[in-house]
Amino acid sequence: MLMLPELIIVATGFILLVLDLFLTEKQRDLLVPLALAGIAAALGALWLTPDHGVLLGGRFAMDPLAWWFKLTFLIAAFVTVMLTSGLLESAAPEPRKLHSPGEFLTILLFNLTGMLLLASTRDLITLYVALELATIPLFLLAAWRRDALGGEAGLKYMVIGALASALMLYGFGVLYGVTGTMRLDAMPALLHADRTTLYAAALIVAGVGFKLTLVPFHMWAPEVYQGAPPPVTAWLSVASKAAGLSVLMLVLFRVFRPFLHDVSFAIAVLATVTMTIGNLVAIVQRNILRFMAFSAISQAGYLLLGFLAGGSVGAAAMVFYLLVYAVTNLSVFAVIILHNQQTGSTELTDYRGLSQLNPLLALALMFGLFGLGGIPPLAGFVGKFLLFSVAAQAGYHWLVGVAAVNSTVSLYYYLRLVRQMYIEAPAEGAVPLKPGWMLSAGLAVTTAASMLLGVVPTVYESVRASAAAWLQSLGQ
Amino acid sequence: MTSIPLGHILLLAALLFGIGLAGVLTRRNILVMLMSVEVMMNAVNLTLVGFSRYNGWTEGHVLAFFIIAVAAAEAAVGLAMVLAVFRLKQTTYVDELRLLKR
Repeated sequence: MLMLPELIIVATGFILLVLDLFLTEKQRDLLVPLALAGIAAALGALWLTPDHGVLLGGRFAMDPLAWWFKLTFLIAAFVTVMLTSGLLESAAPEPRKLHSPGEFLTILLFNLTGMLLLASTRDLITLYVALELATIPLFLLAAWRRDALGGEAGLKYMVIGALASALMLYGFGVLYGVTGTMRLDAMPALLHADRTTLYAAALIVAGVGFKLTLVPFHMWAPEVYQGAPPPVTAWLSVASKAAGLSVLMLVLFRVFRPFLHDVSFAIAVLATVTMTIGNLVAIVQRNILRFMAFSAISQAGYLLLGFLAGGSVGAAAMVFYLLVYAVTNLSVFAVIILHNQQTGSTELTDYRGLSQLNPLLALALMFGLFGLGGIPPLAGFVGKFLLFSVAAQAGYHWLVGVAAVNSTVSLYYYLRLVRQMYIEAPAEGAVPLKPGWMLSAGLAVTTAASMLLGVVPTVYESVRASAAAWLQSLGQ
Repeated sequence: MTSIPLGHILLLAALLFGIGLAGVLTRRNILVMLMSVEVMMNAVNLTLVGFSRYNGWTEGHVLAFFIIAVAAAEAAVGLAMVLAVFRLKQTTYVDELRLLKR
């Protein structure tokens, strides 16, 4: 019962894979609704899953925060499939069409399974296997269009991803050698504040840093974001980042919790560098996917602030911001995917005059960008406010200043895109975009969520309550 | 039976890991880079097995097996992509794959 959402997703993946063999090209259009039904069923199962309990001798456990991570993964997957539907259907425009929809969806669902398992792992072995399941399928998805651009993105991603997992594994090896156990929960009592512990922690954080696109481990992000098909980029920017955060929380809060306070200055420096570099480099980007890559890097910097306070406030702020970031980023990507699907362009300047051609789409994109920039009363503002207040409570007032300046800088480049849409005139002969109903629905839901999450306090309240219960389950 | 001291095993593993890391960072042939990552993975395996054997633990061996299996999956995916790119570009050097800049 505890593993029901994962099992439903795996089963859906296999059903799609087998069914794909017996369908004609035209009938394969049915696969998208089927995948959506599977994810919806998993969401329903997650709703019924208790938020406490262990399976497999404690190697798989549910806790209140894992529940929120799984919710984020499932929602992100659901919306991603909705946004991808236009490119998977048999009538999609040819050069940008994603072929083999059955296999695409199967690999996406297996990838999702890895992420769902990741949030529940409680020892190094399951953590490693789940993390690889959450990573290796992404290489394939990134290279899905077997053209030179996609192949290059996939290759670069794969080499960097393998390097990252090797670094992390070496950290695991050292950790295992020092403690003699694979169980994350047994480790804090067996660790001492010495150089070996720091060494293991540094290796693991470096490995996770690649996933979370922390500077200096971010170099792959712009390349892969640009080369992968835009729906995959959307999935990558949301789900892979959430997976990275879930591993980092497992490791820092469960294993290195007693030493978290001692390294908080290093975390503050990492956060500063990540948000500053991400924001400064984003300013000069001309390709919208690279632009979103650097925007995502800077968002990872804000997320790190939550680790400065070891308590439940920091955890709650991070999980809430992750949820907000997921819906907001997906709403932005919905427009990017549609624009790319129908014009084939990824240049920022090709968005000029969008407000005259598609007033609603331009409005939704503007709200999404404002959400990422953190303008009140959108949810992005509330999420950032909570993270900044964690940093302030931990005594890092200078960092709050840095983060606030960074938010202002980020508004500058988000507004560059808004300016293209609202002030520039449309290009000669530009035609309005025609969104499919599924993409419109995905865009509407995410845009509404990115506004409501900031205004309706219930969601944050329940995340906060979950974080408090989770902290108690850690025994502190 | 005289056994090899743990320190020697760990030192060898660390050296292998360093060699692999240097290989990934300096080499420009994608196949050699993949090979270097394999060396790093195997250095980790050596560490895990060394610790386990020296202390009489078992879980390290288990993780080593999982690492071997997953590394094989990773290599399969990686080589498939190298092949796909080679068909298009006739090269395995990352310097010659420079479409993704600006």
